Amino acid sequence: MDTHLLLQLTINGLIVGALYGVVAMCFVLIYKASQVVNFAQGEFLLIGAWICWWLLTKYQLPFYAGFLITLAFMMVFGLVLQIVVLRPLIGEPVISVIMVTIGLSIFFQALMKWIFGVFAQPFPPVFTTKSVAVFGLEVQTVYVMSTVVSVLIMIGFAWFFKFSRMGLAMRATAFNQQVAQSLGISIRQVFALSWGISAVVSTVAGVVVGIVNGVSSALSFFGIKVFPAVILGGLDSIVGGVLGGLIIGLLENLAHFVDTQWLKWGNLYEVAPFYILIVILMIRPYGLFGTKDIERV
Amino acid sequence: MSFRTNLLAAAAVALLLPGAAAMAQSIPIGHLNDFSGGTADVGTPYGQGVDDTIAWINKNGGVAGRQIAADAVDYSYQVPRAVALYKKWTGSEKVVAIMGWGTADTEALTSFVTKDQIPFLSGSYAGSLTDPTGKAPKAERATPYNFFYGPSYSDSARAMVQWAAEDWKKKGGQGKPKYVHMGANHPYPNAPKAAAEEYAKELGFEVLEPIQFALAPGDYTAQCLTLKQSGANYAYLGNTGGSNVSVLKACETAGVKVQFFGNVWGMDENAMKTAGTAANGVVFPVRTASVWTDDPPGMKLFRDISKISDPSGKAYRTVHYISGVCSMLYMKEAMDWAAANGGIAGPKIRDGFYAHKDWVPKGTEGVCKPSTWTPEDHRPTTQVELYQASVTGPTDGEVADLIQKGTLKLSKIATIDLPRKKEWLGY
Amino acid sequence: MATAIARPCGDFKTSYRSDQTIFPTIASRLFCLAGVVLLCAAPFLFSKYVLNLLIQIGYLGIAALGLNILVGFTGQISIGHSAFFGFGAFASAYFNNRFHIPVFFSIPLAGLAATAAGLIFGLPAARLKGLYLAIATLAAQYILQDFFARANWFSGGVAGTIAETFSIFGWQADGDERYFYVVLAYVVLMYVLAANLMRTRDGRALVAVRDHYLSAEMMGINLTKYRTMSFGISSFYAGIGGALYAHYLQYVSIEAFSILFSIQFLAMIIIGGLGSIMGTLMGTAFMVLLPEAMNGLAQMLSGSVIDKMLGLNEGVSFLREMAIGATIVLFLIFEPDGLAHRWQQIKAYWKLYPFSY
Repeated sequence: MDTHLLLQLTINGLIVGALYGVVAMCFVLIYKASQVVNFAQGEFLLIGAWICWWLLTKYQLPFYAGFLITLAFMMVFGLVLQIVVLRPLIGEPVISVIMVTIGLSIFFQALMKWIFGVFAQPFPPVFTTKSVAVFGLEVQTVYVMSTVVSVLIMIGFAWFFKFSRMGLAMRATAFNQQVAQSLGISIRQVFALSWGISAVVSTVAGVVVGIVNGVSSALSFFGIKVFPAVILGGLDSIVGGVLGGLIIGLLENLAHFVDTQWLKWGNLYEVAPFYILIVILMIRPYGLFGTKDIERV
Repeated sequence: MSFRTNLLAAAAVALLLPGAAAMAQSIPIGHLNDFSGGTADVGTPYGQGVDDTIAWINKNGGVAGRQIAADAVDYSYQVPRAVALYKKWTGSEKVVAIMGWGTADTEALTSFVTKDQIPFLSGSYAGSLTDPTGKAPKAERATPYNFFYGPSYSDSARAMVQWAAEDWKKKGGQGKPKYVHMGANHPYPNAPKAAAEEYAKELGFEVLEPIQFALAPGDYTAQCLTLKQSGANYAYLGNTGGSNVSVLKACETAGVKVQFFGNVWGMDENAMKTAGTAANGVVFPVRTASVWTDDPPGMKLFRDISKISDPSGKAYRTVHYISGVCSMLYMKEAMDWAAANGGIAGPKIRDGFYAHKDWVPKGTEGVCKPSTWTPEDHRPTTQVELYQASVTGPTDGEVADLIQKGTLKLSKIATIDLPRKKEWLGY
Repeated sequence: MATAIARPCGDFKTSYRSDQTIFPTIASRLFCLAGVVLLCAAPFLFSKYVLNLLIQIGYLGIAALGLNILVGFTGQISIGHSAFFGFGAFASAYFNNRFHIPVFFSIPLAGLAATAAGLIFGLPAARLKGLYLAIATLAAQYILQDFFARANWFSGGVAGTIAETFSIFGWQADGDERYFYVVLAYVVLMYVLAANLMRTRDGRALVAVRDHYLSAEMMGINLTKYRTMSFGISSFYAGIGGALYAHYLQYVSIEAFSILFSIQFLAMIIIGGLGSIMGTLMGTAFMVLLPEAMNGLAQMLSGSVIDKMLGLNEGVSFLREMAIGATIVLFLIFEPDGLAHRWQQIKAYWKLYPFSY
């Protein structure tokens, strides 16, 4: 067994998994706070990446300036989107809201293609060293940055939800909207803020993937890749989302290893997460860390 | 008849005549293009080339004095829309030919165009479209009305394998060189797989297990590590632009030393720009004998045609644009022949394709390659031009500027002449 | 979500049996029959293009009805419907090519094959609820897609398979005019079957499972049985729809059965109205005609004053996509119960005029 390759694949899995975890966190955040399944999550990545690219290439801003401006813009964008499109849908059945987010994703994909064109664009070089060696695996510097940022975001989220007033308000709203309202929490603010934060954090992932692969409309497929991660971890658990992302990242790479060494099927990299997903769902229907719905008659 | 009746009759004839004349003037053809769907990054230049050529033909006398009325529709690579458009074109508009685009719609419409006898010139060069009689041992079905300009995917792959064999000998490589096919398990990347692997084995390569990667951009470090570990010397990238770029970049980071091969739609100037230095050294087939920076006598015609949509003349046209122009010009000359030999209708246009040998459309000498279609063999050419990409610096900026500065360069490294084997027909 | 209509004066039922008819009033029954008869005349009146659209609405409507039974009547969510549609398409071609079963029989057989596949994937439905079920069906979609790509013996692998034309006793249904009748017959049959299902005990059980499954369980309805059965029925419909699609295009390729296609089915039933049979057909018609309408609009606009004013040009095709997305969003914001509900409102307005509130 090629342990060197296995080690490298494991590291790669963890790094990519951290990125999945970031996007999964955003997804869970929206679901937890406003009970909406956001099929347009991939488009948040896409919009963030394009805006950042545009600021960097058109206005020749340094990376950190452009990045921060993009984050600010995405916060406003998430807030406005929630206020304009999703507020009228409060109270509608879940499936209608899912459909609206799907409609939004179609709309934004076409809009981005119209504004920025159909050709994939590379990011201007951001880091002077292109790659860093981690345990013998050459990793792109931007991935190292993303891992660091992901960990920081996770710590930030943990602090936010445990200790800050707004975070507690979000948890209360997720638990029971009516009780939270009766305690004086403004549900609308909580919803809007959750969308804003989710948009901002998605942008981080979007920019990272954009730097690695170039920005193109295919970035939105990342949103679909994230679903197994979210379900695996449990829909309403942020920790679960992160762990789910890491597990999916590891799973993809390990499945690839098994496939190339022994099975030789060829495509285990893509489908293994889904097979494992079904297995886990049979054993634990609410994911690894999801809260079981206690039904009262 | 009274004076009034005569006047009315004359008025009616006067009104109808220009209408009738106008109708008799135009030749309806259908044009499927993809400016906004999954293959828009290569569909846009190709479709633009076809559109510009049609406009140029109409400005310069049309076909036998008649204007081409092209119904160009962006079907976003969605097959049901292509089928609906086909029904519209054969129902009310009675098109005589169709400029098609992708593999999916070409395959779906093959049985229909064969039944309705409408020549279909596609942007798909799949080997399964090359056998008009369906009799070749490995052919799937008869495709007498499917045409395309350029070497088939399978022949392009074989040509690169042949180049690899020569390159290995030139480099003084010891032992058997290793060849691997990389791509998604999908019709487009798989089209040349069997043919290329078979030819590689014949030429003495050790053919490794194919490595799969999806058709969407993503993280392919795992695949690159496997590639590195397998010790492959030559790797064929079968997917389209975005995912190929991801693989090239991931493999550059992982430090993989492999000679990569691209495919006709998977590597072009735009992909080189997106991949940056990762695309340096990639070898890929080009359907024409020159690219935009070359200056054979025929290139003047292309610059004129380009001015239709770019009056400034400064736009850089990628290899796909040039191929689109060639394709449309072949269709035009086939229609010219049909007009002179019985009328512009589907079967006659097909005969028009058969009527020339080593055919280069007028004015395109040195660009479009000599092509021959016969009733038994729809492979227009088995000669493949191989170019090598060279990227020597950061690639942010317009493609035109990068080419001018010399950061991006395409250089021809070989012209491979494959034998026109009957056993190679149809797959 | 099911329709409640305003009965005109004097229209009352005197027996349970007459209360359970599929069509609540004589007028609606007559309209439906007249509609079907008029459609029979369609191939002589309309062009191939319109016939193509009608055939599309037909086979997509059958599959969408299956999804509506699952989502609208039983309350499950499925994002893997196009995989079962594809399964039916490949199965029908397979039965016809390999075993030389005439197409007339291979279409129902394909439906049964799809049912078997649906039952297998419906088993997790017993334990999962809500979004977890949705994602499990998403996984089913990818797994089936992978199966299609690799099972050369079944689906021709990535090259796709060729399907024959439909023929009964020598009457070949090649060409849109003839195939239209085949599709029309199947649409009428499947829709009547579904409407019939909803008025039987099983249909009521499905609705009970949707509305409040705990109470349904307490009343003695076996949840697992009915949920799995619902998956099976919806897959049957999807399989029939897929088989009709295969014999229409005469070519089946895996590229068509993607997650986007599944999402389109969902859009059809949501826009049409969950839990409404007539709504399914309306929603399907909407989704099929919307891109064509946008296309027509785009062609009309291109080159015109508005085009030059806004500088659209190539952007017109993007506007088309954006319009589709925006239409779905706006539709759901302003009419979340779907077209069926809106139609009921319109009918009620006219029935109760001038007391229309």
